[in-house]
Amino acid sequence: MARARTTADAFNAIAEPHRREILTLLKGRERVVSDIAVAMGMNQPAVSKHLRVLREVGLVYVHPEGKQRRYGLDARGLEPVHGWTGGFEEYWSESLERLNTYVKKRQREEER
Amino acid sequence: MTPDTALSDRELMISRPIEGPRDAVFEAFTEVRHLSQWWGPEGFTTTTHTFDFSEGGVWEFTMHGPDGTDYPNWIRWIEIRVPEMIVLLHGDGPDDPEQFSSTFLFEERTDGTRVTLRTEFKTKELRARAVKEYGAIEGGNQTLDSLATYVAGRSERPNE
Repeated sequence: MARARTTADAFNAIAEPHRREILTLLKGRERVVSDIAVAMGMNQPAVSKHLRVLREVGLVYVHPEGKQRRYGLDARGLEPVHGWTGGFEEYWSESLERLNTYVKKRQREEER
Repeated sequence: MTPDTALSDRELMISRPIEGPRDAVFEAFTEVRHLSQWWGPEGFTTTTHTFDFSEGGVWEFTMHGPDGTDYPNWIRWIEIRVPEMIVLLHGDGPDDPEQFSSTFLFEERTDGTRVTLRTEFKTKELRARAVKEYGAIEGGNQTLDSLATYVAGRSERPNE
């Protein structure tokens, strides 16, 4: 199966382990690229590439501060992922649909 | 509690008709062999570790997501009124600080049974979160890590 472009959406962006590590590093505090590179033991260009992908899908924001660019986590970018994992409504409408199917099936079996 | 009592900002409710007599619908909640046939969204399965359907009794089970991710579940029945109502506490374990309480009501209708579920969360923030992520990451601390693991589990098997 061909791989979708990594920039396509939040799902692909966070499927890459280094990018997840970056997001974890940015949780709770802004950091500059060099800081992230040191923490991850990677070179800056590689980190910058990952940050660009994360920015494109809205998971990371940039906050220019003087000459520095500070990166932070934008959790709103995770909304499609939250939505996909399913909410209360989806969980229970599907469960109750299955319950309906199951009860009907048992009724039919009893009639036999 | 009745189905038409106003909902608070800590509650969620869902209701739907089930095509079957009330006794049969209620029975589907009382044994593992029934529950395992329908509990959980499409594509999910459950493995039960302990099960005791009585007031104070516990149902401990693992939910298996369609991507193979496992989620611990823990339920304690608080009140059982056959065949009208079940009140339970639900979380990922007995010590889960974010446990929530759910009430299932079973009402007889001419053409079947109406099942109504009302769930009350400890805070309105937890309620808001459940709107988006219930089941999959319920109870546990919603962290980026668990979310990432969840998605990674899915993406590591691109050929399935």
